[in-house]
Amino acid sequence: MKLSINHRTEYRYSELVQHSTQYLRLTPRPSSRQRILNWQMALPESAERASDGYNNILHVLTLDRPHQEIALTVKGEVEITDEDGEDADHRLSPLVFTRYTTLTEPDEALRALASDLPGDNMGRKLENLSETILTAMPFTPGATDVASSASAAYRVGKGVCQDHTHVFLACCRALGMPARYVSGYLYSQDSSHVASHAWAEVWQDDSWHTFDVTNQTRRPRHHLKLAVGMDYMDACPVRGVRFGGGAESLQAVAQVSELGPGDNQ
Amino acid sequence: MQSLGLPAVTGFDEMIGSGSEVRPHYTGYHDWLLQQDRQVLQRKRKEAELQFHRVGITFNVYGEDSGTERLIPFDTLPRIIPGAEWLQLEKGVIQRVQALNLFLHDIYHDQNIIKAGRIPAEQIFGNAQYQPCMQDVDLPNQVYSQISGVDLIRDDAGTWYVLEDNLRTPSGVSYMIENRRMMMRLFPELFAQQTVAPVEHYPTLLLETLQQSAVHSHPTVVLLTPGRFNSAYFEHAFLAQQMGIELVEGADLFVKDGYVYMRTTAGPQRVDVIYRRIDDAFLDPLAFRADSMLGVPGLLSVYREGNVVLANAVGTGVGDDKSIYPYVPDMVRFYLDEEPILANVPTWQCRREAELKEVLARLPELVVKEVHGAGGYGMLVGPAASQAEIEQFRQRLLADPDNYIAQPTLSLSTCPIFVEQGIAPRHIDLRPFVLSGHDTRVVPGGLTRVAMREGSLVVNSSQGGGTKDTWVLEDGEASSC
Repeated sequence: MKLSINHRTEYRYSELVQHSTQYLRLTPRPSSRQRILNWQMALPESAERASDGYNNILHVLTLDRPHQEIALTVKGEVEITDEDGEDADHRLSPLVFTRYTTLTEPDEALRALASDLPGDNMGRKLENLSETILTAMPFTPGATDVASSASAAYRVGKGVCQDHTHVFLACCRALGMPARYVSGYLYSQDSSHVASHAWAEVWQDDSWHTFDVTNQTRRPRHHLKLAVGMDYMDACPVRGVRFGGGAESLQAVAQVSELGPGDNQ
Repeated sequence: MQSLGLPAVTGFDEMIGSGSEVRPHYTGYHDWLLQQDRQVLQRKRKEAELQFHRVGITFNVYGEDSGTERLIPFDTLPRIIPGAEWLQLEKGVIQRVQALNLFLHDIYHDQNIIKAGRIPAEQIFGNAQYQPCMQDVDLPNQVYSQISGVDLIRDDAGTWYVLEDNLRTPSGVSYMIENRRMMMRLFPELFAQQTVAPVEHYPTLLLETLQQSAVHSHPTVVLLTPGRFNSAYFEHAFLAQQMGIELVEGADLFVKDGYVYMRTTAGPQRVDVIYRRIDDAFLDPLAFRADSMLGVPGLLSVYREGNVVLANAVGTGVGDDKSIYPYVPDMVRFYLDEEPILANVPTWQCRREAELKEVLARLPELVVKEVHGAGGYGMLVGPAASQAEIEQFRQRLLADPDNYIAQPTLSLSTCPIFVEQGIAPRHIDLRPFVLSGHDTRVVPGGLTRVAMREGSLVVNSSQGGGTKDTWVLEDGEASSC
């Protein structure tokens, strides 16, 4: 399936920002599962391309003159193959992904959830876990925020893809299963869905396997992966620090549409 | 004139032997001491205190009101090490630091020590101190810990042990230097009488080490401090001044186009080496703790590309974590193919069921420590604890055994200090500072910390410990560095 992505993020500030630095994880790394046909970023200034510890493509953007807005636009076309199971993309040990982070530290409730899963093998248990999480916390925008931990979101009983993923990761790690956070884009025929998405991958039988809790799917055929990490903080598309600026308002529009077979000729 | 009688000692004392005789390497000092007037000595101690206040050697104590500064007690009776004995210690700490640097390079690259089955993989990768962002990053000279502090103690028999390694941001070296200056000012005749190996050149060696860690010659080196509220701020300012380099805070630096720059009145200046006295977690708010106000946004991206050197490297904590400590002697054998010169304190890993069982049965006689704790916090000293404290700790151990190690209570050697009534023995340790550049070097001696309270085994300055000048006698056998 070929997808076209158009993603614009705009930050506006009530006062002048003196200096800002951003880590952008807005460029997908090509793999056997995702082919990048073309990809462009429009930024206020040129950014330094680097990679981070999880082998994500990272752009470092520094604005050291006073500014009151930051606009980031990415456009691209990609081809996704319909297969699950990705090899380790570099030499980082999957065991790293058994550690808890501030956002994925399980409390008593999550430990109990992880230890009581039905199923005669780990794959079945994790599928049950995924179902249970979505039932316990139906997709509800606005009930949580980006700083909500897995435990806090689970207590609220509602959440978005980020919360579903954090709860899933916390439980996997409580079971000793390496599991990581994936940030990316999702194609959906229903255009009311948010195109920016998060899901989980679990390390089993020497490869990474998809668990998209929010969409109850294990087949990432509509998923374009941007970045992976321990949790949202590692993989989020934009992470920045600014000096000055006052209040911030954010507007983000992400569109993912299907490309016809002849569209990129 | 009132003379100072020798106190009775139990255990191993550095100055006084088991037959109440003065040990040979202390006779020069003791002969001098016998000729001193107590009132004069008393006056000199007061003078030292005044001087330290004047130069501003103070220490913020954690857990007290923020901004509380107090003087670290300084005792004017030196801790003396014979030259030949130092030679062994020097070899031992150099060997250990070399092995630890090789270990850090290995686990952030090929992980041969894991493949060889010497350390379980989960001990490394499950450890919060292993930094994924350092995997496969190549460092100049392959040096991770440019500045290391190795804490040494002696037991009742006088045998030396390594208590712990400090590979993150070891502090205390400014006291080593200031203590020597103070002693030379107060008692110049002592240094004329016998040859004490110098320590004053430490800042010169440190600067050389930092410069050697850079990729090219004539690098710009800065010292990055968390700021004046940090407990070791005095030391940061002192070392920067001694080395003639800029003392900067996070806000003085910024990242642009793949490099780190320092804001100066003459415009931005590129920085090549950062001697950082900030923990990993606070270095870059975009990569580690987002709430850090101390670091430099973007720093990690520049570091990973090799365009700035950090001393020490990111991720050295996995080498000095208490859960890794039991494996260090084996690292020496694995990487250097040598037998360790310095022994570890025997250690039970509570993560192992059989060892936990033994620890629980012997709690009243053991010291139990949190694997990630530091500064003497979060530990149980069995023989000094009440029954209630032991029971409370037992519950903590049972709840999270992986988080603890245990060791026998080594009583630590003593060295006399001056007290109201004369001189009296107090427990001490020793932290030599090891510098790793093109070579691995140590200035003779290090920082001797003293538990000022009678009987106390806690020497940490954050918990009321004091310091002493440490002398390595150049009796013909000591090396000079």
